[in-house]
Amino acid sequence: MNVIEVKNLIKKYKNFTAVDHISLEVEEGCIFGMLGPNGAGKTTTIECIIGLKNRDGGEVNVLGIDPNVDYKKLYNLIGVQLQETSYQDKIKVYEICELFTSMYENPVDYHILLDRFGLHDKAKSYLSQLSGGQRQKIAIILALISNPKLVFLDELTTGLDPKSRREMWDYIKELKNEGRTVFMTTHYMEEAAYLCDKICIINDGKIIALDTVDGVIDLADIDQVISFETEEDIVQLIEKEIKGINKIEKENKKLKIYSKREDLLTDLVIFLKEKSIKYRKIDINRPGLEDAFIKLTEKTRKVE
Amino acid sequence: MRRFLKLVAIEWKLTNREFITIFFTLIFPILMLLLFGTMYGNEASEFMGGYGSVDVSTPGYINMIIAVTGIMSLPLTLAQYRERKILKRFMATPTKPIEILLSQFIVNILLTILGLVLLIVVGKIVFDLHFFGNFFEAIFTFFIILLSIFSIGLLIAGVSKNAKMATAIAYIVYFPMLFLSGATMPLQMMPQSIVNISKALPMTYGVTLFKGIWLGDHLIDYPLEIIILFSITLVFGGLAVKFFKWE
Repeated sequence: MNVIEVKNLIKKYKNFTAVDHISLEVEEGCIFGMLGPNGAGKTTTIECIIGLKNRDGGEVNVLGIDPNVDYKKLYNLIGVQLQETSYQDKIKVYEICELFTSMYENPVDYHILLDRFGLHDKAKSYLSQLSGGQRQKIAIILALISNPKLVFLDELTTGLDPKSRREMWDYIKELKNEGRTVFMTTHYMEEAAYLCDKICIINDGKIIALDTVDGVIDLADIDQVISFETEEDIVQLIEKEIKGINKIEKENKKLKIYSKREDLLTDLVIFLKEKSIKYRKIDINRPGLEDAFIKLTEKTRKVE
Repeated sequence: MRRFLKLVAIEWKLTNREFITIFFTLIFPILMLLLFGTMYGNEASEFMGGYGSVDVSTPGYINMIIAVTGIMSLPLTLAQYRERKILKRFMATPTKPIEILLSQFIVNILLTILGLVLLIVVGKIVFDLHFFGNFFEAIFTFFIILLSIFSIGLLIAGVSKNAKMATAIAYIVYFPMLFLSGATMPLQMMPQSIVNISKALPMTYGVTLFKGIWLGDHLIDYPLEIIILFSITLVFGGLAVKFFKWE
Protein backbone atom coordinates (compact mmCIF):
# COMPACT_ATOMS: atom_id res chain seq x y z
CA MET A 1 0.00 0.00 0.00
CA ASN A 2 1.25 3.48 -0.78
CA VAL A 3 1.08 6.10 1.95
CA ILE A 4 2.25 8.90 -0.35
CA GLU A 5 1.32 9.29 -3.99
CA VAL A 6 2.58 12.29 -5.93
CA LYS A 7 1.79 12.82 -9.60
CA ASN A 8 3.34 15.57 -11.70
CA LEU A 9 3.82 17.92 -8.78
CA ILE A 10 4.70 21.46 -9.85
CA LYS A 11 5.67 24.39 -7.68
CA LYS A 12 6.72 27.73 -9.11
CA TYR A 13 8.13 30.87 -7.53
CA LYS A 14 7.49 33.66 -9.99
CA ASN A 15 9.53 32.56 -13.05
CA PHE A 16 11.48 29.89 -11.24
CA THR A 17 10.18 26.32 -11.23
CA ALA A 18 11.31 24.83 -7.93
CA VAL A 19 9.52 21.52 -8.40
CA ASP A 20 9.08 20.37 -11.98
CA HIS A 21 6.68 17.47 -12.61
CA ILE A 22 7.77 15.26 -9.74
CA SER A 23 6.01 11.92 -9.43
CA LEU A 24 6.74 9.41 -6.71
CA GLU A 25 5.16 6.79 -4.51
CA VAL A 26 6.13 5.81 -1.00
CA GLU A 27 5.20 2.38 0.25
CA GLU A 28 3.95 1.85 3.77
CA GLY A 29 6.60 0.87 6.30
CA CYS A 30 9.65 1.88 4.31
CA ILE A 31 12.26 4.60 4.71
CA PHE A 32 12.21 6.83 1.68
CA GLY A 33 15.15 9.17 1.18
CA MET A 34 15.22 12.24 -0.97
CA LEU A 35 18.65 13.44 -2.00
CA GLY A 36 19.79 16.35 -4.08
CA PRO A 37 22.21 19.28 -4.12
CA ASN A 38 21.32 22.45 -2.21
CA GLY A 39 18.48 24.25 -3.93
CA ALA A 40 17.39 21.15 -5.83
CA GLY A 41 13.87 21.44 -4.44
CA LYS A 42 13.86 18.86 -1.64
CA THR A 43 12.35 21.06 1.02
CA THR A 44 9.82 22.58 -1.37
CA THR A 45 8.76 19.07 -2.38
CA ILE A 46 8.25 18.05 1.25
CA GLU A 47 6.37 21.25 1.98
CA CYS A 48 4.05 20.65 -0.96
CA ILE A 49 3.52 17.03 0.10
CA ILE A 50 2.49 18.03 3.63
CA GLY A 51 0.51 21.00 2.44
CA LEU A 52 2.63 23.77 3.93
CA LYS A 53 2.84 25.22 0.44
CA ASN A 54 0.14 25.27 -2.18
CA ARG A 55 1.21 23.43 -5.28
CA ASP A 56 0.80 24.92 -8.74
CA GLY A 57 -0.02 21.65 -10.43
CA GLY A 58 -0.26 17.90 -10.08
CA GLU A 59 -1.82 15.61 -7.53
CA VAL A 60 -0.74 14.82 -4.00
CA ASN A 61 -2.27 12.16 -1.84
CA VAL A 62 -0.98 11.45 1.65
CA LEU A 63 -2.68 8.68 3.64
CA GLY A 64 -5.65 9.13 1.34
CA ILE A 65 -5.83 12.87 2.04
CA ASP A 66 -5.14 15.81 -0.25
CA PRO A 67 -3.02 18.03 2.02
CA ASN A 68 -4.30 21.24 0.47
CA VAL A 69 -7.86 20.20 1.23
CA ASP A 70 -7.90 18.61 4.68
CA TYR A 71 -4.65 19.62 6.35
CA LYS A 72 -6.11 19.46 9.83
CA LYS A 73 -7.00 15.79 9.51
CA LEU A 74 -3.63 15.08 7.91
CA TYR A 75 -1.61 16.81 10.64
CA ASN A 76 -3.22 14.56 13.23
CA LEU A 77 -1.85 11.54 11.36
CA ILE A 78 1.67 12.64 10.44
CA GLY A 79 4.71 13.88 12.33
CA VAL A 80 6.98 16.55 10.96
CA GLN A 81 10.50 17.79 11.61
CA LEU A 82 11.25 20.86 9.55
CA GLN A 83 14.67 22.05 8.49
CA GLU A 84 16.36 24.70 10.65
CA THR A 85 13.41 25.21 12.94
CA SER A 86 14.25 26.53 16.34
CA TYR A 87 11.75 27.02 19.11
CA GLN A 88 10.77 29.86 21.38
CA ASP A 89 13.48 31.48 23.47
CA LYS A 90 13.27 30.45 27.08
CA ILE A 91 10.82 27.62 26.61
CA LYS A 92 11.46 24.52 28.70
CA VAL A 93 11.46 21.00 27.34
CA TYR A 94 8.33 19.89 29.19
CA GLU A 95 6.53 23.08 28.15
CA ILE A 96 7.06 22.58 24.43
CA CYS A 97 6.07 18.92 24.88
CA GLU A 98 2.88 19.89 26.70
CA LEU A 99 2.11 22.48 24.05
CA PHE A 100 2.41 19.94 21.24
CA THR A 101 0.50 17.35 23.27
CA SER A 102 -2.42 19.77 23.56
CA MET A 103 -2.56 20.14 19.78
CA TYR A 104 -3.30 16.56 18.84
CA GLU A 105 -6.37 14.37 19.09
CA ASN A 106 -4.58 11.17 20.14
CA PRO A 107 -1.25 12.20 21.62
CA VAL A 108 1.17 9.75 23.17
CA ASP A 109 2.61 10.41 26.62
CA TYR A 110 5.64 12.61 26.00
CA HIS A 111 7.34 11.32 29.17
CA ILE A 112 7.69 7.95 27.47
CA LEU A 113 9.27 9.64 24.45
CA LEU A 114 11.66 11.66 26.63
CA ASP A 115 12.68 8.40 28.33
CA ARG A 116 13.19 6.64 25.05
CA PHE A 117 15.45 9.41 23.74
CA GLY A 118 17.33 9.64 27.01
CA LEU A 119 16.11 13.14 27.81
CA HIS A 120 13.93 12.48 30.87
CA ASP A 121 16.33 14.39 33.12
CA LYS A 122 16.22 17.38 30.77
CA ALA A 123 12.45 17.95 31.06
CA LYS A 124 12.90 21.07 33.20
CA SER A 125 15.82 22.45 31.15
CA TYR A 126 15.53 25.34 28.76
CA LEU A 127 15.54 24.15 25.17
CA SER A 128 18.23 26.72 24.38
CA GLN A 129 20.60 25.03 26.83
CA LEU A 130 20.48 21.66 25.07
CA SER A 131 23.17 20.50 22.65
CA GLY A 132 22.49 20.35 18.92
CA GLY A 133 21.95 16.60 19.08
CA GLN A 134 19.56 16.90 22.01
CA ARG A 135 17.58 19.62 20.22
CA GLN A 136 17.20 17.36 17.18
CA LYS A 137 15.96 14.61 19.48
CA ILE A 138 13.35 17.05 20.75
CA ALA A 139 12.42 17.74 17.13
CA ILE A 140 11.79 13.99 16.64
CA ILE A 141 9.91 13.74 19.93
CA LEU A 142 7.62 16.59 18.86
CA ALA A 143 7.12 14.84 15.53
CA LEU A 144 6.14 11.64 17.38
CA ILE A 145 3.70 13.13 19.88
CA SER A 146 0.87 12.72 17.39
CA ASN A 147 1.74 8.98 17.23
CA PRO A 148 2.07 9.27 13.45
CA LYS A 149 2.00 6.53 10.84
CA LEU A 150 4.14 8.69 8.63
CA VAL A 151 7.08 10.84 9.74
CA PHE A 152 8.78 13.56 7.67
CA LEU A 153 12.39 14.36 8.57
CA ASP A 154 13.97 17.21 6.64
CA GLU A 155 17.74 17.15 7.12
CA LEU A 156 17.45 15.85 10.64
CA THR A 157 21.16 15.10 10.99
CA THR A 158 22.66 18.14 9.28
CA GLY A 159 25.22 19.78 11.55
CA LEU A 160 25.40 16.94 14.05
CA ASP A 161 28.68 15.34 15.10
CA PRO A 162 29.27 11.80 13.76
CA LYS A 163 28.35 10.11 17.03
CA SER A 164 25.04 11.93 17.38
CA ARG A 165 24.32 11.23 13.74
CA ARG A 166 24.79 7.48 14.21
CA GLU A 167 22.54 7.66 17.23
CA MET A 168 19.85 9.29 15.09
CA TRP A 169 20.20 6.48 12.57
CA ASP A 170 19.30 3.96 15.24
CA TYR A 171 16.24 5.99 16.17
CA ILE A 172 15.15 6.26 12.54
CA LYS A 173 15.53 2.48 12.11
CA GLU A 174 13.44 2.05 15.24
CA LEU A 175 10.67 4.14 13.71
CA LYS A 176 10.62 1.77 10.79
CA ASN A 177 10.61 -1.28 13.06
CA GLU A 178 7.54 0.15 14.79
CA GLY A 179 5.80 0.07 11.44
CA ARG A 180 6.01 3.77 10.69
CA THR A 181 6.91 5.11 7.28
CA VAL A 182 9.71 7.66 7.12
CA PHE A 183 10.17 10.27 4.39
CA MET A 184 13.54 11.92 4.89
CA THR A 185 15.98 14.21 3.15
CA THR A 186 19.71 14.21 3.80
CA HIS A 187 23.03 15.37 2.43
CA TYR A 188 24.90 12.39 3.84
CA MET A 189 25.15 9.56 1.33
CA GLU A 190 26.29 6.95 3.84
CA GLU A 191 23.21 7.85 5.87
CA ALA A 192 20.89 7.34 2.91
CA ALA A 193 22.67 4.10 1.94
CA TYR A 194 22.41 2.78 5.49
CA LEU A 195 18.81 3.75 6.16
CA CYS A 196 16.79 4.06 3.00
CA ASP A 197 14.83 1.33 1.28
CA LYS A 198 14.23 3.61 -1.62
CA ILE A 199 16.02 6.69 -2.85
CA CYS A 200 14.98 9.57 -4.99
CA ILE A 201 17.63 11.95 -6.32
CA ILE A 202 16.38 15.28 -7.54
CA ASN A 203 18.19 18.08 -9.29
CA ASP A 204 16.78 21.40 -10.48
CA GLY A 205 13.33 20.29 -9.37
CA LYS A 206 13.34 17.10 -11.46
CA ILE A 207 13.74 13.48 -10.46
CA ILE A 208 16.89 12.02 -11.98
CA ALA A 209 16.86 8.69 -10.15
CA LEU A 210 14.24 6.80 -8.20
CA ASP A 211 15.19 3.33 -7.08
CA THR A 212 16.77 1.24 -4.32
CA VAL A 213 20.30 2.19 -3.28
CA ASP A 214 21.77 -0.58 -5.47
CA GLY A 215 19.46 0.36 -8.31
CA VAL A 216 20.63 3.95 -8.21
CA ILE A 217 24.27 2.86 -8.17
CA ASP A 218 23.64 0.58 -11.17
CA LEU A 219 21.88 3.38 -12.96
CA ALA A 220 24.93 5.61 -12.61
CA ASP A 221 26.89 2.90 -14.44
CA ILE A 222 30.23 3.57 -12.80
CA ASP A 223 33.38 1.41 -13.15
CA GLN A 224 34.77 -0.37 -10.18
CA VAL A 225 38.41 0.35 -9.57
CA ILE A 226 41.06 -2.23 -8.69
CA SER A 227 44.32 -0.71 -7.62
CA PHE A 228 47.65 -2.18 -6.57
CA GLU A 229 51.33 -1.34 -6.52
CA THR A 230 53.97 -3.07 -8.59
CA GLU A 231 57.55 -2.34 -9.67
CA GLU A 232 57.06 -3.79 -13.10
CA ASP A 233 55.74 -2.15 -16.23
CA ILE A 234 52.77 -4.32 -17.11
CA VAL A 235 50.11 -1.90 -18.37
CA GLN A 236 50.15 -3.05 -21.97
CA LEU A 237 50.37 -6.69 -20.95
CA ILE A 238 47.25 -6.43 -18.78
CA GLU A 239 45.33 -4.61 -21.51
CA LYS A 240 46.18 -7.41 -23.92
CA GLU A 241 45.54 -10.37 -21.62
CA ILE A 242 42.46 -9.34 -19.65
CA LYS A 243 39.13 -8.54 -21.24
CA GLY A 244 36.62 -5.89 -20.23
CA ILE A 245 38.98 -3.19 -18.98
CA ASN A 246 37.82 0.34 -19.70
CA LYS A 247 40.85 2.25 -18.57
CA ILE A 248 44.18 1.81 -16.80
CA GLU A 249 45.86 4.65 -14.97
CA LYS A 250 49.48 4.51 -13.86
CA GLU A 251 50.91 6.80 -11.26
CA ASN A 252 54.45 5.93 -10.19
CA LYS A 253 54.18 2.38 -8.90
CA LYS A 254 50.41 2.47 -8.56
CA LEU A 255 48.07 0.98 -11.13
CA LYS A 256 44.37 1.71 -11.27
CA ILE A 257 42.21 -0.54 -13.40
CA TYR A 258 38.68 0.62 -14.31
CA SER A 259 36.14 -1.98 -15.31
CA LYS A 260 32.51 -3.03 -14.90
CA ARG A 261 33.38 -6.73 -14.71
CA GLU A 262 32.52 -8.17 -11.31
CA ASP A 263 34.94 -11.09 -11.78
CA LEU A 264 37.86 -9.01 -12.97
CA LEU A 265 39.69 -9.44 -9.68
CA THR A 266 39.86 -13.21 -10.10
CA ASP A 267 41.30 -12.92 -13.60
CA LEU A 268 43.74 -10.28 -12.48
CA VAL A 269 45.08 -12.25 -9.54
CA ILE A 270 45.45 -15.38 -11.66
CA PHE A 271 47.26 -13.33 -14.29
CA LEU A 272 49.63 -11.81 -11.75
CA LYS A 273 50.38 -15.24 -10.26
CA GLU A 274 50.96 -16.88 -13.64
CA LYS A 275 53.38 -14.14 -14.69
CA SER A 276 55.00 -14.13 -11.24
CA ILE A 277 54.52 -10.42 -10.91
CA LYS A 278 55.04 -9.05 -7.42
CA TYR A 279 52.27 -6.77 -6.23
CA ARG A 280 51.10 -5.26 -2.96
CA LYS A 281 48.37 -3.10 -1.48
CA ILE A 282 45.73 -4.53 -3.76
CA ASP A 283 42.41 -2.84 -3.21
CA ILE A 284 39.01 -2.97 -4.83
CA ASN A 285 36.78 0.05 -4.80
CA ARG A 286 33.18 -0.62 -5.65
CA PRO A 287 31.18 2.48 -6.64
CA GLY A 288 29.00 3.76 -3.82
CA LEU A 289 25.96 5.96 -3.57
CA GLU A 290 28.14 9.05 -3.29
CA ASP A 291 29.88 8.29 -6.63
CA ALA A 292 26.49 7.65 -8.21
CA PHE A 293 25.05 10.84 -6.75
CA ILE A 294 27.90 12.98 -8.04
CA LYS A 295 27.83 11.40 -11.47
CA LEU A 296 24.06 11.64 -11.83
CA THR A 297 23.75 15.22 -10.61
CA GLU A 298 26.70 16.33 -12.77
CA LYS A 299 25.28 14.68 -15.86
CA THR A 300 22.06 16.63 -15.65
CA ARG A 301 23.97 19.85 -15.11
CA LYS A 302 26.00 19.31 -18.29
CA VAL A 303 22.89 18.71 -20.38
CA GLU A 304 21.72 22.25 -19.69
CA MET B 1 -10.48 25.55 23.24
CA ARG B 2 -8.35 23.52 25.66
CA ARG B 3 -5.59 23.66 23.07
CA PHE B 4 -5.87 27.41 22.68
CA LEU B 5 -5.83 28.02 26.44
CA LYS B 6 -2.70 25.88 26.74
CA LEU B 7 -1.08 27.95 24.03
CA VAL B 8 -2.01 31.20 25.79
CA ALA B 9 -0.78 29.83 29.13
CA ILE B 10 2.61 28.88 27.68
CA GLU B 11 3.02 32.10 25.72
CA TRP B 12 2.16 33.98 28.93
CA LYS B 13 4.89 32.13 30.81
CA LEU B 14 7.39 32.85 28.03
CA THR B 15 6.54 36.55 27.92
CA ASN B 16 7.04 36.74 31.66
CA ARG B 17 10.56 35.44 31.19
CA GLU B 18 11.43 38.37 28.91
CA PHE B 19 13.14 40.76 31.29
CA ILE B 20 13.06 43.81 29.02
CA THR B 21 9.35 43.49 28.29
CA ILE B 22 8.51 42.98 31.95
CA PHE B 23 10.70 45.89 32.99
CA PHE B 24 9.16 48.34 30.54
CA THR B 25 5.54 47.27 31.09
CA LEU B 26 5.46 46.62 34.82
CA ILE B 27 8.36 48.44 36.44
CA PHE B 28 9.41 51.43 34.31
CA PRO B 29 5.97 53.15 34.35
CA ILE B 30 5.88 52.89 38.15
CA LEU B 31 9.40 54.35 38.36
CA MET B 32 8.25 57.27 36.19
CA LEU B 33 5.21 57.75 38.37
CA LEU B 34 7.30 57.68 41.53
CA LEU B 35 9.93 60.03 40.09
CA PHE B 36 7.59 62.72 38.78
CA GLY B 37 5.10 62.18 41.58
CA THR B 38 7.79 62.84 44.14
CA MET B 39 8.96 65.92 42.23
CA TYR B 40 5.59 67.54 41.69
CA GLY B 41 3.30 65.84 44.23
CA ASN B 42 -0.37 65.23 43.59
CA GLU B 43 -1.82 68.47 44.94
CA ALA B 44 -4.28 70.22 42.67
CA SER B 45 -2.38 72.93 40.85
CA GLU B 46 -3.17 75.81 38.53
CA PHE B 47 -0.60 74.64 35.96
CA MET B 48 -2.27 71.23 35.73
CA GLY B 49 -5.69 72.79 35.16
CA GLY B 50 -6.80 72.32 38.70
CA TYR B 51 -5.79 68.64 38.98
CA GLY B 52 -2.91 66.91 40.70
CA SER B 53 0.15 66.11 38.62
CA VAL B 54 -0.12 62.35 39.23
CA ASP B 55 -3.82 62.35 38.30
CA VAL B 56 -3.00 64.03 35.00
CA SER B 57 0.05 61.89 34.19
CA THR B 58 -1.37 58.42 34.93
CA PRO B 59 -3.50 58.07 31.77
CA GLY B 60 -0.40 59.08 29.79
CA TYR B 61 1.63 56.36 31.47
CA ILE B 62 -1.10 53.86 30.65
CA ASN B 63 -0.69 54.83 26.99
CA MET B 64 3.00 54.23 27.43
CA ILE B 65 2.34 50.69 28.70
CA ILE B 66 0.09 49.99 25.71
CA ALA B 67 2.87 51.18 23.40
CA VAL B 68 5.43 48.87 25.01
CA THR B 69 3.28 45.77 24.66
CA GLY B 70 1.74 46.73 21.31
CA ILE B 71 4.72 48.18 19.47
CA MET B 72 7.66 46.43 21.12
CA SER B 73 6.63 43.12 22.62
CA LEU B 74 3.99 41.97 20.10
CA PRO B 75 5.81 42.63 16.82
CA LEU B 76 9.23 41.57 18.11
CA THR B 77 7.90 38.24 19.31
CA LEU B 78 5.96 37.57 16.11
CA ALA B 79 8.84 38.61 13.85
CA GLN B 80 11.15 36.36 15.82
CA TYR B 81 8.70 33.46 15.59
CA ARG B 82 8.57 33.88 11.86
CA GLU B 83 12.34 34.24 11.43
CA ARG B 84 13.03 31.12 13.46
CA LYS B 85 10.35 29.23 11.55
CA ILE B 86 8.33 28.70 14.70
CA LEU B 87 5.19 29.93 12.93
CA LYS B 88 5.89 27.49 10.13
CA ARG B 89 6.41 24.65 12.60
CA PHE B 90 3.02 25.41 14.13
CA MET B 91 1.50 25.46 10.67
CA ALA B 92 2.49 21.80 10.35
CA THR B 93 0.25 20.89 13.29
CA PRO B 94 -3.54 20.92 13.61
CA THR B 95 -3.17 24.39 15.17
CA LYS B 96 -4.10 27.22 12.86
CA PRO B 97 -1.36 29.86 12.64
CA ILE B 98 -3.94 32.53 13.43
CA GLU B 99 -4.17 30.96 16.90
CA ILE B 100 -0.51 31.81 17.57
CA LEU B 101 -1.17 35.37 16.54
CA LEU B 102 -4.29 35.55 18.67
CA SER B 103 -2.51 34.05 21.68
CA GLN B 104 0.21 36.70 21.40
CA PHE B 105 -2.49 39.33 21.22
CA ILE B 106 -4.17 38.03 24.34
CA VAL B 107 -0.91 37.63 26.27
CA ASN B 108 0.07 41.22 25.51
CA ILE B 109 -3.38 42.52 26.45
CA LEU B 110 -3.16 40.65 29.76
CA LEU B 111 0.30 42.08 30.34
CA THR B 112 -0.96 45.59 29.59
CA ILE B 113 -3.81 45.16 32.06
CA LEU B 114 -1.42 43.86 34.70
CA GLY B 115 0.86 46.86 34.17
CA LEU B 116 -2.09 49.25 34.37
CA VAL B 117 -3.41 47.68 37.58
CA LEU B 118 0.01 47.78 39.25
CA LEU B 119 0.46 51.40 38.22
CA ILE B 120 -2.93 52.40 39.58
CA VAL B 121 -2.41 50.50 42.84
CA VAL B 122 0.97 52.16 43.42
CA GLY B 123 -0.47 55.56 42.43
CA LYS B 124 -3.36 55.08 44.84
CA ILE B 125 -1.20 53.99 47.76
CA VAL B 126 1.65 56.46 47.33
CA PHE B 127 -0.03 59.54 45.85
CA ASP B 128 -3.75 59.01 46.55
CA LEU B 129 -4.44 58.86 42.80
CA HIS B 130 -7.91 60.08 41.77
CA PHE B 131 -10.09 58.91 38.93
CA PHE B 132 -12.76 61.45 37.97
CA GLY B 133 -14.32 59.75 34.97
CA ASN B 134 -16.86 57.11 34.13
CA PHE B 135 -15.53 53.60 34.61
CA PHE B 136 -17.12 52.10 31.50
CA GLU B 137 -16.07 54.97 29.28
CA ALA B 138 -12.53 54.49 30.57
CA ILE B 139 -12.62 50.76 29.76
CA PHE B 140 -13.94 51.53 26.27
CA THR B 141 -11.23 54.15 25.79
CA PHE B 142 -8.54 51.74 26.95
CA PHE B 143 -9.60 49.17 24.39
CA ILE B 144 -9.89 51.49 21.39
CA ILE B 145 -6.40 52.84 22.14
CA LEU B 146 -5.14 49.32 22.60
CA LEU B 147 -6.61 48.13 19.31
CA SER B 148 -5.15 51.05 17.36
CA ILE B 149 -1.67 50.63 18.83
CA PHE B 150 -1.74 46.83 18.50
CA SER B 151 -2.78 47.09 14.85
CA ILE B 152 0.31 49.24 14.23
CA GLY B 153 2.38 46.57 15.99
CA LEU B 154 0.79 43.86 13.88
CA LEU B 155 1.70 45.70 10.69
CA ILE B 156 5.30 46.05 11.91
CA ALA B 157 5.35 42.31 12.62
CA GLY B 158 3.76 41.54 9.29
CA VAL B 159 6.09 43.46 7.01
CA SER B 160 9.43 43.08 8.81
CA LYS B 161 11.74 40.67 7.04
CA ASN B 162 13.32 39.58 10.31
CA ALA B 163 13.50 40.30 14.01
CA LYS B 164 16.25 42.89 13.55
CA MET B 165 14.15 44.91 11.14
CA ALA B 166 11.13 44.64 13.43
CA THR B 167 13.24 45.93 16.32
CA ALA B 168 14.50 48.86 14.26
CA ILE B 169 11.01 49.87 13.11
CA ALA B 170 9.58 49.39 16.60
CA TYR B 171 12.19 51.73 18.09
CA ILE B 172 11.60 54.33 15.39
CA VAL B 173 7.87 54.26 16.06
CA TYR B 174 8.00 53.82 19.82
CA PHE B 175 10.40 56.48 21.05
CA PRO B 176 8.92 59.52 19.32
CA MET B 177 5.51 58.42 20.54
CA LEU B 178 6.84 57.99 24.05
CA PHE B 179 8.24 61.52 24.31
CA LEU B 180 6.25 63.56 21.82
CA SER B 181 2.68 62.36 22.31
CA GLY B 182 2.24 63.75 25.81
CA ALA B 183 2.41 60.25 27.30
CA THR B 184 5.38 61.05 29.50
CA MET B 185 5.72 64.83 29.26
CA PRO B 186 2.70 67.11 28.97
CA LEU B 187 2.40 68.71 25.55
CA GLN B 188 1.69 72.04 27.26
CA MET B 189 5.39 72.14 28.13
CA MET B 190 6.43 71.66 24.50
CA PRO B 191 7.21 74.30 21.87
CA GLN B 192 4.73 74.67 19.01
CA SER B 193 6.95 72.77 16.56
CA ILE B 194 6.81 69.65 18.76
CA VAL B 195 3.07 70.05 19.20
CA ASN B 196 2.75 70.04 15.40
CA ILE B 197 4.80 66.84 15.15
CA SER B 198 2.72 65.28 17.87
CA LYS B 199 -0.38 65.64 15.72
CA ALA B 200 1.10 63.09 13.32
CA LEU B 201 1.55 60.51 16.08
CA PRO B 202 -1.35 58.13 16.68
CA MET B 203 -0.71 57.93 20.39
CA THR B 204 -1.23 61.67 20.85
CA TYR B 205 -4.93 61.08 20.26
CA GLY B 206 -4.95 58.19 22.69
CA VAL B 207 -3.27 60.30 25.35
CA THR B 208 -5.62 63.26 24.82
CA LEU B 209 -8.69 61.03 24.90
CA PHE B 210 -7.66 59.00 27.94
CA LYS B 211 -6.63 62.12 29.90
CA GLY B 212 -9.97 63.70 29.13
CA ILE B 213 -12.00 60.65 30.14
CA TRP B 214 -9.85 60.13 33.24
CA LEU B 215 -10.43 63.69 34.39
CA GLY B 216 -14.20 63.49 33.95
CA ASP B 217 -14.95 64.37 30.33
CA HIS B 218 -17.13 62.10 28.22
CA LEU B 219 -16.59 60.20 24.99
CA ILE B 220 -18.96 62.58 23.20
CA ASP B 221 -16.46 65.41 23.84
CA TYR B 222 -13.79 63.66 21.73
CA PRO B 223 -15.28 62.68 18.36
CA LEU B 224 -12.08 63.55 16.46
CA GLU B 225 -9.84 61.41 18.68
CA ILE B 226 -12.24 58.47 18.58
CA ILE B 227 -12.59 58.63 14.79
CA ILE B 228 -8.83 58.83 14.34
CA LEU B 229 -8.17 55.89 16.67
CA PHE B 230 -10.79 53.76 14.92
CA SER B 231 -9.40 54.73 11.52
CA ILE B 232 -5.90 53.74 12.60
CA THR B 233 -7.21 50.36 13.71
CA LEU B 234 -9.01 49.83 10.42
CA VAL B 235 -6.20 51.02 8.14
CA PHE B 236 -3.23 49.49 9.95
CA GLY B 237 -5.16 46.36 10.91
CA GLY B 238 -6.33 45.96 7.31
CA LEU B 239 -2.82 46.45 5.93
CA ALA B 240 -1.47 43.99 8.48
CA VAL B 241 -4.00 41.35 7.46
CA LYS B 242 -3.23 41.94 3.80
CA PHE B 243 0.56 41.96 4.06
CA PHE B 244 1.20 39.62 6.97
CA LYS B 245 3.83 37.07 5.95
CA TRP B 246 3.76 33.74 7.73
CA GLU B 247 7.23 32.80 6.53
